Amino acid sequence: MFRNILTVLSCLLITIGLQAQVEKAMDGTFALTNATIVTVTNGTIENGTLVIRDGRIAALGSNVTIPGNAQTIDCAGKYIYPGMIDSGTRLGLSEVGSVSLTNDYREIGEFKPHMQALTAVNPNSVAIPVTRVNGVTTVLTMPSGGLVPGTAALINLMGYNPDQMYAGAKGVVMNFPNSGKRGWWDRRSEEEIQKEYDKNLKEINEVWEQVLFFQEVQEAGEADYRPEMQAMIPVLEGEMPLLIEVNKAADIRAAIQWVEDRELSNVVFTGVAEGWRVAEELAEAGIPVIAGPVLSTPTRPSDRYDRPYANPGLMLDAGVKVALRTNEAENVRNLPFNAGFAATYGMGKEEAMKAITIVPAEIFGVADQLGSLEVGKAANLFVATGDPFEMKTDITHLFISGYNVPIDSRHIQLYQEFLERSPGVRK
Amino acid sequence: MLFLVCAFLAIGLSLQAQSVEDALKPVTRTYALTNATIVTQPGEMIEGSTIVIKNGLIDAIGTNVSVPAGAKVIAADSMYVYAGFIDALSNTGVPRPKNEDNGPRRGRRPDGVNPGDPPRELAGVTPEKQVRNDLKPDERSVEDMRKLGYTAAHVVPHGRMLPGQGSIILLAGEDGEDMLLSEGLSLFTQFEAAPGVFPATVIGVMSKFDELYRQTEQMIMHMDAYAKNPKGMDRPERDEALEAMAPVVKGEKPLFFMAPGVKDIYRVLRMQDDLGFNLVLTGVKEAWHVADQIAEANIPVIVNLELPDLPKDSKKKEGEEEDEAMDDEMKMLQERAAERMQAFESQAATLADAGIQFGFTAMDAKTNDIHASLRRMIEHGLSEDQALAALTTTPAAMLGVSDMMGTLEEGKMGNLLVSDAPYFAEGANVRFVMIDGHLFEYEAKKATKGNPDATANVNGEWSYTVEVPGQTSEGTLKLIDNSGEISGTFYSTQMPSAEDIENARLNGNELSFDAPVSMGGQRMSLQFTLVITGDTFEGTVSVGEFGTFDVEGFREGDPE
Amino acid sequence: MRYTILIALLLFFGVSLSAQSEAGSMLIKNGTVLTVTNGTMENTDVLVIDGKIAEIGKNLRAPRGVEEVDATGMHVMPGIIDCHSHIAIDAVNEATNPVTAEVWVGDALDPLDVSIYRALAGGVTASHAMHGSANAIGGQCETIKHRYGTYNPNDLRMEGAPRTIKFALGENPMRVHGEGRGIQPATRMGIEQVFRAAFSEAQEYQAAKQKYEAAQANDDNTVLPPQFDRRMETLVDILEGEIIIHCHSYRADEIYMLMQVCEDFGIDRLCFQHVNEGFKVAPELAEFGAGASVFADWWAYKFEVYYSTAYNAAILTENGVVTSINSDSGELIRHLYHEAAKTQRYGELSNDEALALITINPAKQLGIDDRVGSLEEGKDADIAIFKGHPLSIYAVPMKTIVDGKVYFDRNNDADDQRLDVDPEEVMPAFFLDVQDHNYENCMQGTYQTFNALFRG
Repeated sequence: MFRNILTVLSCLLITIGLQAQVEKAMDGTFALTNATIVTVTNGTIENGTLVIRDGRIAALGSNVTIPGNAQTIDCAGKYIYPGMIDSGTRLGLSEVGSVSLTNDYREIGEFKPHMQALTAVNPNSVAIPVTRVNGVTTVLTMPSGGLVPGTAALINLMGYNPDQMYAGAKGVVMNFPNSGKRGWWDRRSEEEIQKEYDKNLKEINEVWEQVLFFQEVQEAGEADYRPEMQAMIPVLEGEMPLLIEVNKAADIRAAIQWVEDRELSNVVFTGVAEGWRVAEELAEAGIPVIAGPVLSTPTRPSDRYDRPYANPGLMLDAGVKVALRTNEAENVRNLPFNAGFAATYGMGKEEAMKAITIVPAEIFGVADQLGSLEVGKAANLFVATGDPFEMKTDITHLFISGYNVPIDSRHIQLYQEFLERSPGVRK
Repeated sequence: MLFLVCAFLAIGLSLQAQSVEDALKPVTRTYALTNATIVTQPGEMIEGSTIVIKNGLIDAIGTNVSVPAGAKVIAADSMYVYAGFIDALSNTGVPRPKNEDNGPRRGRRPDGVNPGDPPRELAGVTPEKQVRNDLKPDERSVEDMRKLGYTAAHVVPHGRMLPGQGSIILLAGEDGEDMLLSEGLSLFTQFEAAPGVFPATVIGVMSKFDELYRQTEQMIMHMDAYAKNPKGMDRPERDEALEAMAPVVKGEKPLFFMAPGVKDIYRVLRMQDDLGFNLVLTGVKEAWHVADQIAEANIPVIVNLELPDLPKDSKKKEGEEEDEAMDDEMKMLQERAAERMQAFESQAATLADAGIQFGFTAMDAKTNDIHASLRRMIEHGLSEDQALAALTTTPAAMLGVSDMMGTLEEGKMGNLLVSDAPYFAEGANVRFVMIDGHLFEYEAKKATKGNPDATANVNGEWSYTVEVPGQTSEGTLKLIDNSGEISGTFYSTQMPSAEDIENARLNGNELSFDAPVSMGGQRMSLQFTLVITGDTFEGTVSVGEFGTFDVEGFREGDPE
Repeated sequence: MRYTILIALLLFFGVSLSAQSEAGSMLIKNGTVLTVTNGTMENTDVLVIDGKIAEIGKNLRAPRGVEEVDATGMHVMPGIIDCHSHIAIDAVNEATNPVTAEVWVGDALDPLDVSIYRALAGGVTASHAMHGSANAIGGQCETIKHRYGTYNPNDLRMEGAPRTIKFALGENPMRVHGEGRGIQPATRMGIEQVFRAAFSEAQEYQAAKQKYEAAQANDDNTVLPPQFDRRMETLVDILEGEIIIHCHSYRADEIYMLMQVCEDFGIDRLCFQHVNEGFKVAPELAEFGAGASVFADWWAYKFEVYYSTAYNAAILTENGVVTSINSDSGELIRHLYHEAAKTQRYGELSNDEALALITINPAKQLGIDDRVGSLEEGKDADIAIFKGHPLSIYAVPMKTIVDGKVYFDRNNDADDQRLDVDPEEVMPAFFLDVQDHNYENCMQGTYQTFNALFRG
């Protein structure tokens, strides 16, 4: 009988061993010790300890008591940063770019603010682990196409259903009419472009009138089921930001006027590729911007070659509140590098880091939860061997919503399998 | 005006271009233009001179020339007579084929065609094509060029990379063949890809050209060998395209290669270096980069008469306001654009300074802009003599017709133009053109020019009258301005009902549009150019080859 | 006179003139010299005479008339080479046939492309201007040096560089020909047969030519040569080892297939491009001796790259494959130094290994490693000077030198570097970089790109 128990026990152990091959995100209480803690809002703490409990930062400082049941992770020689936030992506809404049925960000129709990006996010997208292992823990994922493509959502890059991922903020996306060419393949004449611009502007103004009317009707209690109109009400009331995509200088000016004419209080401009040309006007209007991608080519062949790198810094210098985005689907992981280029070409390291942490948190109204390492905020953070903007740096640990997320992704698995393939070359 | 047209019909004329004189069957074929300033060739001017043309040839020129009895005398006092211009290359007189696809970049390839191996016509490889059977003397372009003083042209078929061979035509004749002076003296090539089939890119074109050239070399060798001793040898395959290229490969015919941009020029020069054909560098716009190189290599050049459009007076586009921060940048950009514009405008002068003698091609230019372009080139350093040479003596020499035309000399063809002021002066009008002894007369254009910065309200119903020698014709014009889009209808008392106008454009206070009308089964387009001042307008209407007439009108009632 | 004014104005705008084969001389003093092949040397000088690296050492003296460039505190590295690019050419895809070996992008170089200047601003001195990937056998490519400032396309050509040609495997040729036109290839099976058929036909052409030449040698004039066929001529040149094949490829099986086909036809000059799944057949690639030119981290934009990894370059390098990192993009080419550094995040390559990916390795793949790709005495003076180490995110390219002449100078260059100025358009048109690349730039000029971009 003793031998039977042994057999049973050893079988159990083997089974547990097999299960342990797939790493899962684990919650619990953690103490990260001996680290350089870059809080972003309250300076840097040398030789610090950060305690995570119940999904939050429970304590942080150089003299912190470590709870008894905490799992200690020695971070000597390493740095702790807040999880980075990408303020504009299609992550989770696109799996294989050229296969259209795997893309969920572009619905049919011009005016469709009721399209909810959040529900269409694929929590199991292969790109999500690939992204977070670079320290990006939170992204705004956005619909696109048409005049008002839908409602974007801020999501944490962990969770098995959209609600688990939801990070507490949304915004209605709007594409301001574009008076420039769309790309190198756009062969429309000046007149055609102007005509379409006028048409689009007219359309958006008409739609806006309808929305205002709907608001009145709704207050009178007479509204029908008009989901697209309904989706605009929080924007009208300033509760949800209106994210206006606008890039050309003349269009940005027009958009500023448009926003002021309608007395909208909660507006963010996205893209702003030529923001540097109208930086002062943006600053005066007090409209925060989400700039990027930083790694793009200048908008005009006569522009100085480094304009897109310098754009965020130039706007910041003029007093504009600037967050950064990659506007990517599967390469959102390049956010820290985009920020690095912005830092190098004028923004400076500190401000560039803010532009992907606390500033987007403030813009989206979740600064009490995200964007810096402060007691009480959500435990979205990572541990790195150095500056996360530098390619040489490795990320060794990752926490999202207090869960210890394994540093694992398909890219890493393929590395492990193929670095030394077995069998190798065999005749 | 319509009445007059119908009158012409009544006299039993076909609608083919005939001179005003011919319409009434000339009583004489001897003309004397008296007391004019005659420019016999660039740099040689004789004042108070007379020129006599008999049976289509120049009989006498000079100050002491007596007017023969029975000659039709045209008093050309204070007018200037020049040798008729020769267009070094264009499609004048060759109608554009109807099925040419102007579709979007996608092109429309017929079904069942293998894009990698398409029929030659589709690929644009038709070097054997001649213009003879396509020439139309009443083609719009013929009249347009003639009005400017052109009397002859070197024309090629429409097409893509190898449209065909060039022929010299006179810009008048009873029918196509009648216009033909000399056929197939050159081969024409351009970097034009085929839509959706090989070659669809410029690299495809260049590769295809190289291959055809070498295949032609091979064919020539084969044919020579076969002619010498055919025994035991496969017979040469007949290929009309290669056979058409053979004279170029053998150096017997020149190759006119269209090269407007600087990259085109360098590419063509390299191809010439590789393959060795007799190149005529045609249609150049940016040749200042290679002036010395071309001069040294003695390559004949034909300058493009098309110049970039001058910018409108800083019109602020909607939404494109100036910004203080943009001022420095805008200034710099404006300077660069202006400097480049100057380079284009002074290209001809640069070439002339490098010692290059060149002709002009009207292939790309709008005829209405040619006089202005010449003036711009002259303002930027080209001498009037050089400009005149490029229009007359140089193309004549290039095309091998110096014995017949290019200067005013006894014995040469009666090809000339008469202008009411020195040709290159602003506001100068061509009054007469003579081609091969046929005389064409033109009314002086009214000085009224439109002002692009003025505004005009075209809305409403207008009454108009047209003055034609001996006749006044009238009708109504209804116009609607829909935020810049002009539409409307045109009605004349001779028409059964009103017709919609087409191609209407309002530039400041100058309105232009076409009124299609149908006469005697023929569709014609009347081209109106009106300058609107308040509630009245005045301007001109062009009635095909019949000429241009004055129009006047006023608005009925209140503007809408 | 006008010409002189023109020159003066151009100089005023900071555009350097006659770039053609003008070789320069200079003494780059006191920099940290990253030779790539012979280690790193601090406080070292590089002497350039007439466009060649004359000497590398300490305390060198400049001959009279040779200007000095102070590189104190800077990093001096070989000019970066992009092994896969489509800038500076006026046509990318002659997409009308699955085999178009006869066309050559070198026929249509565009020296006026401002992308060349922007590449110089990223330290790139040479690039491989390639035909697109619409065809299984595409057109010939051209290795160019970034001698920006000339109007003469011939000035860009890197004289003496080996001929190269573009092949393509996988979705692109299948999409353009099979899906688009109902012409083989529609599958990877079909692509293999396109190669075998093309090479076999070429062998027949070659045999016919040889028969003709033999007859000529015997004074027999009755035997005729085959009709000159530029496509066949090119394919024969590939068989005879005169042209390096650069093959756009993704899937492991198709990479393997091409190596088999090449072996069967005796071709050994082969380099794979993109080769996202190269890491899965790294041992085979190493054994064949084929090169691999890859993206740093592009993936998932098509299904055939869905199962790839950013660790590709690192794995290939560790397995002994000559690997380079390329851009295939007028945007990415500007920061290849950053792309190369990603192998230190996705992999553990050393500094020299990472730098080799954008210098000596692409040089080897293009057959120009005797001339460029490292800082060695006798090589061309193609040099990039950085503030900061090039593999750091904070690096700033300061000066880029080709053939000993400075073509990019961050501190002294005017903003507007256009050579092609449209006199009718004072303010050049605005346009935005299209970001969602569902297709690589290799598909420019094919209907499929338009479909994709217009689809939404």
